[in-house]
Amino acid sequence: MGIATSDKPLLARVKESEQDKFMQASVAKAQDAQHTKREDSRALLGNWEEWRELGEQIRQRAIAYLPDYLEEFSNNVDKNGGDVFFADTEADAVDYIQKIVKETGAKKLVKSKSMVTTEIDMDKQLLALNKGLALMETDLAEFILQKDNWDEPTHIVFPTLHKNRDQVREIFMKLGYEGDNDPEHLARFARKYLREYFLQADLGVTGCNFAVADTGMINLVTNEGNADLTMAIPKTQIVVMGMERIVPTMADAEVLDNLLCRSAVGQKLTSYVTFAGQQVAGETDGPENFHVVIVDNRRSEALGTQFQSILQCIRCGACINVCPVYRHIGGHGYGSIYPGPIGAVLSPILGGYEKFGELPYASSLCGACTETCPVKIPLHKLLIQHRMVYTDRLKMQGGLNNFMMEVIGIGTGFPFLFRSAIRFGRPGLRTMAHKTDRLTALNFIKDEPLVDKGPGLVGGWADVRDLPIPPKHKESFRSWFADHKQQQKLAQAQKDNSSDK
Amino acid sequence: MAIYNREAFLDHLSEKLGTPRHQKDKEPFTHINQLPEETLADLSADELLEMARNTSEALKVTFKVTSKADLGGVLDAYLTDKGDGQLILPTAPDKIKAYGLDDWTAAASNQRTVKYWDPKADRATNLATAQDSAMAIGFGDYMLAESGTITVPSSPGQGRAFNFLPTHYLCIVKRSNILPRSTQATKLYAQRLKSGELKTSNINYISGPSNSGDIEMVLIVGVHGPLDMTYIVVDDM
Ligand code: SF4
Repeated sequence: MGIATSDKPLLARVKESEQDKFMQASVAKAQDAQHTKREDSRALLGNWEEWRELGEQIRQRAIAYLPDYLEEFSNNVDKNGGDVFFADTEADAVDYIQKIVKETGAKKLVKSKSMVTTEIDMDKQLLALNKGLALMETDLAEFILQKDNWDEPTHIVFPTLHKNRDQVREIFMKLGYEGDNDPEHLARFARKYLREYFLQADLGVTGCNFAVADTGMINLVTNEGNADLTMAIPKTQIVVMGMERIVPTMADAEVLDNLLCRSAVGQKLTSYVTFAGQQVAGETDGPENFHVVIVDNRRSEALGTQFQSILQCIRCGACINVCPVYRHIGGHGYGSIYPGPIGAVLSPILGGYEKFGELPYASSLCGACTETCPVKIPLHKLLIQHRMVYTDRLKMQGGLNNFMMEVIGIGTGFPFLFRSAIRFGRPGLRTMAHKTDRLTALNFIKDEPLVDKGPGLVGGWADVRDLPIPPKHKESFRSWFADHKQQQKLAQAQKDNSSDK
Repeated sequence: MAIYNREAFLDHLSEKLGTPRHQKDKEPFTHINQLPEETLADLSADELLEMARNTSEALKVTFKVTSKADLGGVLDAYLTDKGDGQLILPTAPDKIKAYGLDDWTAAASNQRTVKYWDPKADRATNLATAQDSAMAIGFGDYMLAESGTITVPSSPGQGRAFNFLPTHYLCIVKRSNILPRSTQATKLYAQRLKSGELKTSNINYISGPSNSGDIEMVLIVGVHGPLDMTYIVVDDM
């Protein structure tokens, strides 16, 4: 199925997600907890804006010279004794991986978390092609999803956000677990179960956070330790990487690791940050056979276009964690393995407008994603660009307005979401606001800045009239209206009381 | 070994980008700012040690500072605390000597089963030894004050799985090798790899025990890697 996680239309998916109250509560809890951790860790580092500029510069450099850095990286892997395969499509990638499975006669494959292997649907294809092959996802979340009949992930950093401990317990009971629903007990069971499997594994498949051009090593950023076991125990390792994962040097990777850890999980560094490659003489573990599969799979469609900056993404998930639409519809609502703002920009590129062209409309355009992105990808602007391409290129103008209004309804139609958008909208829009001498009702009274340029709906609105930045949450119309109603009720009650006397 | 399908792939990217290949060396790359190098760079040795202690303890690491003379005693206390079970040590005679642990290693084998990660053994043997070991005592290169991290490159005598399979893990680091941040360690590793002084396929930056928040975002300490971590800083080295 590639990056798609559902065949249903967006609005149907959203309706389904709305029913899942546990998911909504989990997402809200996760977003709030991550907000505090992320912002605290960034504040502690200091100079966050300058760090973002550095992150952006490194990623822009890597993408601008992508062919050169990929060439340097592949030369170094080759020099170290490894193999590199450049895969244009997901089929090419899977064919090459299948060739390695056959050549090595692999019987037990262990995998660590990798979005790109999910994207190319590697697991299911390998299992279909090799009857004698056992394949195990070893990241705790991915293991849970696999054992729950390959349930789809809902977040790029926290794939099982939609599952509660009782559901996990039920899944593990089918594997022989007999304990309670305590997460620690569940994790210990997974550790034991997977450790036995690890020790027999003959093929390891990992993703890669960054590939370092000048050493031919990959850089992995993890917390559980399963990726390192995947790179230590089996004789053969296959790294599957999106072609944009490249960075010039270890020093560049290190800067991005610092941004990634803080942005993804609010840690200074995760438990394991590893630089690894082909086994060197004298070592007894690590891969004797080291393969890197570099995947395009339509990423090149973004190169040289207005969407090039999306290839800067370091997959931290911060944009997802601040998104009010994600908060409401969760990961499955997007119908793509890449949800949230990053998914709404990336999915139409990787999966086409026919399937994902409506996703850029599933946004309240508050700008919080752009504001939090550690490598300064202008996400909300890219969403607008997608809308323009979708409208122009596919000549869908006629139907689009109705449809657009329906999908925009996702961003504004639900009371909770609308409140969220307003809450997020103030800081979001503040970045686009400026002080002006022109007088309006609001800035005349309060000396507030104005927004006169902005994305999408805001852009259209601001073309013809000045849009004051949304009021602080507690002052917003809805809050005021609620207060007003309350006061009316009180007044009415008092009146009723006095007339009773 | 081999590179497949590269030229057509990279030509396609170059065409999409609208720029010819082989341009990057004509435009040298320098970072827009020096924040990685400047951040925490002015801390004194004492401040670095204190910061390392605080950040490590925040990660639930047991953090101890000792002298070279007392190191053996500290290790004995650690082993007693962790109970019975096999101990794995690296084959690193130079380091064992430098830390003054020759006599200690001999004595330790009288107390319990002590095995070594053996450069002459095969993969399966070393993996089985590490798996059967309750405890690992290894040597780290650097400690990073900001993040409570120890860094460990793989070597023939201390392989990758040495750091991951045993249940309890202790790492010994010299106080003079406490660095402010990952920036300084990465710079040193890049230089050492380039000069050929360091030959390794794997460098681990390890910050506390393995953990996960995958079940309802509840922090679980100890998932696939060691369940607990101890750092020993040797004060006079
Ligand atoms: S777009 Fe930016 S914020 Fe979103 S996942 Fe990518 S790097 Fe993180």
